[in-house]
Amino acid sequence: MYHGALAALLISVITMGLMIDGAPGDADLGAEDGAARWVRAAGLFDAWRDGDSRAMDDLVRLMTPVLWHVVRAYGLERMLAEDVVQTTWLRLVRSHESIADSRAVSAWLTTTARREAWRVGRGKARVEPTDAADLDAMLPTQTSAEDTAASSEENRRLWAAVRALDERCRRLLRVIAFDDRPDYATLASDLAMPVGSIGPTRQRCLAKLRTLLDSPRPQGAT
Amino acid sequence: MSEHDDAELVARLRALWSEVDPAPASLIDRMIAAVAAEGLSSEYALLTLVEQPLGAVRAETDALTLQFSDGTTSILLHVTTTANGRRRVDGWIDTAAAEVVLVQGDRERTTRPAETGRFAFDDVPPGMATVRLTTRVGDEERTLSTPRFEL
Repeated sequence: MYHGALAALLISVITMGLMIDGAPGDADLGAEDGAARWVRAAGLFDAWRDGDSRAMDDLVRLMTPVLWHVVRAYGLERMLAEDVVQTTWLRLVRSHESIADSRAVSAWLTTTARREAWRVGRGKARVEPTDAADLDAMLPTQTSAEDTAASSEENRRLWAAVRALDERCRRLLRVIAFDDRPDYATLASDLAMPVGSIGPTRQRCLAKLRTLLDSPRPQGAT
Repeated sequence: MSEHDDAELVARLRALWSEVDPAPASLIDRMIAAVAAEGLSSEYALLTLVEQPLGAVRAETDALTLQFSDGTTSILLHVTTTANGRRRVDGWIDTAAAEVVLVQGDRERTTRPAETGRFAFDDVPPGMATVRLTTRVGDEERTLSTPRFEL
């Protein structure tokens, strides 16, 4: 009964997704498809637990890009970020029995990845998040690679504005951009802020980003 | 600003990050392979490293003591470096075990513990290793494996 309803929802959401962007193979699904992603993840997870081993491959395809961005939001270098993504997947295989409701699998994955990224990042004794805004200046290779990666003038402007944000805003915005159902409690503890302030902080960060975009020469654009 | 405007800006951010810092092209395939390999090894119940003080103690004498357990079976490994740079592994297990296997890459060495639960591997090359053991409780045979650790 319940599974039937979920499957029907799944099909209608996927169909909508196809009609909207016509790119079902796009791994980085947009917010419009956010509902589709966690519902699809749940469906694949159920199929895997019912014995369909290929379903796990599809789940990995669906969620790995999301986990990548969530982990990179924590400032880990690429090799470490890959390790954290792998740890997250292995942990899912090992402890899938602890996930009673398959609809929670997407949130379980992103939360596990964020906790692990936070732990690894701390282990590396990185500078405090608030001081890290200046860190970009010390990473010329990385930032220049990313600077030139933005293909359009619009994206270059947006990237310059994002880089002018403080580390906390940048991290928060990147996590919420990719995690369609972020767990506010762990997010709050990672960012060292009260749970209730995540929503307002998100608003403040978006407002700041708009201001930077509207100013003729965003700070940080060189 | 409306919620719609916010959603639109967040969507632009998502597109931006996907463009400037995409996941490595081979990452998905490597994750699929890692998960598949994990599925194979999970046919063995996993022993986990017991936290300090007995978990992993590397003493000044360059000896390493590791304790793994799954709550029922515990295994203690005492690793020493010999004069020629090889390793000697002295082990104790608290359950009657039929055999203990030291796995290093493709190499496997098998031994049977004594009545006291003691066993040893000598002249072991340094490197990553796992220890697998088969125990028998009544008629039931269980195979347990440690995670990979460095000798």
